[in-house]
Order: sequence, then C-alpha cells, then structure tokens
Amino acid sequence: MSTASREFLRNAAEKSADLVHRGIIRKGIDQYNAAAGRGRERFSDWEAARQRCHEIKWEAVNNLDRYLLEFERRVKERGGHVFWAENSEEARRYVADLATSRGVKKIVKSKSMVSEEIHLAPALEKLGIKVVETDLGEYIVQLRNETPYHIVTPAMHLTRSDIAALFKEKLGDVDTDDPPELVAAARRALRRDFFSAEMGISGANFLVADAGMIALTTNEGNGRLSTSLPRIHLVLAGIEKVIPRLQDLATIWPVLATSGTGQPITCYNTLIGGPRGPNEIDGPEEFHVVLLDNGRSELLADVSEREVLHCVRCGACINACPVFRTVGGHTYGTTYMGPIGSVLTPHLRGIKEFNHLSYASSLCGACTDVCPVKIELHHHLLHNRRDAVNASARPWMERLTFLMWGWAVKNPRRYALAGRMARTGMRVLQALKLDGTVLDPARAWTKNHAAPPAPQKSFRELWGKQNGAG
Amino acid sequence: MEPVENLGRERILERIRAALREPAPRHAGVPGKAIFAPVEDPLDRFQKECTANVTECTVTPDLRASGRAIAGALAELPPGGIFVQDTPELRRLSVDWQYDRNIQWSSEGAPQESAQATITTAEALVALTGSVLVSAACGGRGASVVAPVHIVLATSEQLVPDLEAAFTYIRQRELPLKNSYLCLITGSSRTADIEKILVMGAHGPRRLIVVLSMKPS
Repeated sequence: MSTASREFLRNAAEKSADLVHRGIIRKGIDQYNAAAGRGRERFSDWEAARQRCHEIKWEAVNNLDRYLLEFERRVKERGGHVFWAENSEEARRYVADLATSRGVKKIVKSKSMVSEEIHLAPALEKLGIKVVETDLGEYIVQLRNETPYHIVTPAMHLTRSDIAALFKEKLGDVDTDDPPELVAAARRALRRDFFSAEMGISGANFLVADAGMIALTTNEGNGRLSTSLPRIHLVLAGIEKVIPRLQDLATIWPVLATSGTGQPITCYNTLIGGPRGPNEIDGPEEFHVVLLDNGRSELLADVSEREVLHCVRCGACINACPVFRTVGGHTYGTTYMGPIGSVLTPHLRGIKEFNHLSYASSLCGACTDVCPVKIELHHHLLHNRRDAVNASARPWMERLTFLMWGWAVKNPRRYALAGRMARTGMRVLQALKLDGTVLDPARAWTKNHAAPPAPQKSFRELWGKQNGAG
Repeated sequence: MEPVENLGRERILERIRAALREPAPRHAGVPGKAIFAPVEDPLDRFQKECTANVTECTVTPDLRASGRAIAGALAELPPGGIFVQDTPELRRLSVDWQYDRNIQWSSEGAPQESAQATITTAEALVALTGSVLVSAACGGRGASVVAPVHIVLATSEQLVPDLEAAFTYIRQRELPLKNSYLCLITGSSRTADIEKILVMGAHGPRRLIVVLSMKPS
C-alpha cells in the first residue's frame, strides 16, 4: 500500500467521523445544489448545452497542436510571450527566472489550479518573493497554511467564526464574525498588495485560439486587478485549456457558471490577449503565457481516457460526489479532489502511488450525470482500476482474494462449496459474537456495520426449491 | 525581452501529434436543439436581469437626461475625485457635475485608487444575462474595476439580445484586434467564499450603475 493510500485511509476515517465537518459541507453543498438546479432551468435545453460543450472541447482536444499554435501565433503578434513547459520544474523555473530578472518583490495571484499543481508559491517564497493569494477563499487558506479544500470554494470547510479568529490573529485590526465586515477587511488588506505588486499571476479558464486571448472567469474582481495593475502579467495554463473560437464562449460561459456556482453567468468574464496596447491607457508592460504539459500529452495518447482533458474545472462532480461529502477535500491529498481528481491524479502523479483514489468511489455515476462536458467520470475510475491491476499496483491480499474468487466462480461445485463455507463461517462468528473483531475476514466492513443474520440457504438452493429441482 | 530557449516546445508538440494519430470517440447528441429560448423584448429582459444580478439600471429618454441621472448618482457619493473616460459625449455631459467633483479624464492616465467612481461607455449590453461589455477602449482596464462605483453611459441601440449576438458583434467590429482587453461584466463584484453567504463588493465595485438612454443623442 502506498504512503498516499495509507494517509488517505487514515484521514478518511477521521473526517467521516467528524459530524461537525460533515454538517458544514452538507450545508454548503445543499446551497450549491439549490442554486445549480435553478441555474439549469434557465436553459431551454440543458442537455443540448452539455452536448455543445462536449463538441467544443472534443474539437479542441482532438486538434490540440493546431489550436495551440494558432493561440501562440496571435499572442506573439500582440507582443506577448509563450513558453511551453514539459513539467512542473520547467514551469517553476521560467516564472522564477522572469521574476528575479525583473526585480519582482511581490506577486499578486488570482486563483490558478495549475499554480497549485506545480507548487509555485513555495518555490517563489524561497527566493524571497512575496506571493499573495487574492481570491478570498485562497487568501483564507493561504493565511492558514493550507491547500484549497475545493477547486471552486477553497475555504468551504471553514465557518465564519474560524475565519473571524484567523483574521483577528493575522490581520490585527479585525474583530468581527460578520461576513460583509470580514470581506471588507480582506479587501482593505489586499488593496495595498494590488497597487504595490510588480507582477500578477493568473490561471486561464480557456485559451481562445481564434482570438489569441485567455479567458478568465472571476466573481470578486481580484482576477481583473491582478491582471490590470502590476507591470507584468503571467498566465499559467494546462495545454488542454484551448478552445477553437471566441463564439464558443457564448455557450461555455453560462454553462461553466451554472455548474460552478449556479449563477446564470459569472460576474467578470475577462479576455486578455497581450500587454497594454499602443493606444491603451493602462495594463501590464509584459504578458507571458506558460503552457504546461506535465503528463497531459500522455493522457492524450490514451484514447479511452482522452476526454478527461475536456474538463473545465467547474467542480460540479466534486459537489455531487457522496465520497467527497463524507471524507472532505483535504483527505484526497491532491491538487484536484473529488471524482475528477481521482481520475486525473494517477495520470499526473503516478498510478502506483495514487491508484487508491479510483477506489474512493461508489461508482454511483452522479459525477457523470452532472459533468457539463459529459466526461464519463465513473467509467474512467473503472479504467484506472483496470490499469492499476494490470500494473500490479494493488495489494497482494486483494490480488490473492480475486484469484481465489476467480477460481471458485468458474465451477458451480466450487462456487456452492465456497458459499456454504462462507455462510457457516458467518453463523459461527455471529454466534460467538466475534463478528467485527480481528478474527472476522470481513472486518473492514463489519467493524462499523451490523451484518444481517447469515442466510440458512443459498440463492441457488432457494431457486431450485421454488422452480422445481432445476 | 531576451528570447528564452524553449526546447520543450517541439517535444510537447511532437508528443501531441503522435498521441492524436489515433482518433477518440465522441458522444452522440440530438442536433439542432436550441440552448436558450430566444429573447423577445431585449430592453425588458435586460432590466429584469439587472434587477436579478444587482445592477442598478436607469432608463432615460435621451443623453441630456442621462447626464442628469449621472449627476444624481454622483450626488449621493462621499466626497472625492472621479475618473471619467474621455469622450466627446462625456465631456459635454460633465457640465452637470464638473463643479462638484474633481474629474480625472482617461486621457490623463490610469484611474487613481482614491477615485470615488468611474464613468465609462460600453461596447454593448447583453439582454440575456443583463451584462455590460467593455473593452480597453472604454477608459482602460482599470476604469471598470478599481473604484467602489462604476457608472456606464449606454444607449438602447447598444443592446444585443444574447451572447451569440455579442460575440458576432465582437468579431464584426474586430474588437480582439483593436484591444488587448475585453470584459463582460454582470452585476457588481461579489463573493460567497465565507459559508456560501453572498457578500457584495469583494475587490471590484460594490455598485454597478447603467444609465441607458433610449436615444443615441
């Protein structure tokens, strides 16, 4: 069992028993569900919208080289720079070299999951550069030295009193648990950073090929300030973020908002294509885009898994997932949590270390139902399980069990014998009140669940009796 | 900037091309279904969406009346300077408020952090979502985000029914070629990062005011 897998089991056991935590998450997700349900009703045909988004992303991902080159060409025509990074290390080095060569002391960041993926902030902090997260949720988790709990709502696991205590300790001049006042305190603190930072870093929700612009979706306005005020704007984006045409956003923007928060459309949908233009009054002098591969091109080569690259990072599958709601976002120990994280992480960080996440699913398919680009998430979890078995990445006990089961099930007599032994064993354990103890082979289940009484007869025996000896 | 050696570029492109030699399946859908119902009355829809997304929309008969409406909105604000996009219309309308407020025009540089309000034009208004489309040409990037109040001077001619029409407009006017920056603004800045409770005025404007004239002059 991998270290990550052991940690996952330990944290999952702890978090799922934490009823306060479950209450907070349930409340947040109930509110999301109500808003997203209302949001979907604004479409005359939500399924047609999902299909359209699937087609847009399919076209982009299946012509990825062409659209990336078109995007690059147009950005360069406007005076921007494009750097292609094969892995996290190359991306970090490019950003660090740029920041140090320009004498950057402070960076304001709007939310970028890629920056979390490549662990950018710690690398820059080591060089003495201050990195300030400006999305309120990200700012809160940064002040707590935590990673985001959820890709859309990073501080979902905290109550207003947690945040009040944090602000009182870290910001000093705040003593309130009133959400508007807490937001105002963060606004005051971050204003100073926006106007003094030399560099702004953002992610990109989309890279629009035919316009050569990045599309950035935010509600707070932090993304707009981070990309308008500092001297340098740097964009971090995965290579899969490209879409063919600006016109595609007419469908994608409302769909992303509905799936992400339930809004009809997010407050600020910004398109940025370069540094300040010759006749423009403001904007950065330099514009850089880092396109990150980091395992994505390998996922692209796997035809059955390729559509995982269609993901628009809305978080709908995370909210729908009963496992996420129970174990919480931090338990995954990954940048991307929930169903999409469980599918993606083994590809980005190795199947040996992270295949256990593919088993952190009841395969109920709720994630697949809500995905706005129609990724068949629970099928991909099964594909990952298959790949893990083929790569001999599963524990020997599990492999032995399945070997024995496979041997028994191939022969009716062996199967009947195995069933009889199991029923007898169960009755003996229950009679001796040993079920759920270390002597119980089904302990993983029975230690927390009352097992039903062992049946007297097998299904085959009952079937034979009712249908005449058949 | 000195060119950075980018050996990874060709390698990534090579891997992508090799990966794409085998085609991926796609999901079948029912073609030809409308995603949104058509917008019947753009002005009515725009006003309703503004109410829903907390944009303050004032409809006026003509530009003169718009100027007075802006003066009324400015009168309620705390003392301090304002930032105004430098256009002939806004210069003309500013006679109604120039004695009360110190005006910084966009031709004089980017807006100050201390501006109490910014006044700009828009490229278009989108009825379907109650949105305002601005570009770098509308007073710059900061003009619609740095101040606590953003006032938009618009006319009913600028209304387009939906997002498809907005993008057609963007393409026909070649806005991406003429601007490094475009933004579709829908309502004022907000956050729900604390217990999913909606709070207005996170980092951007707390109030968005659209003054919409029924006549272009």
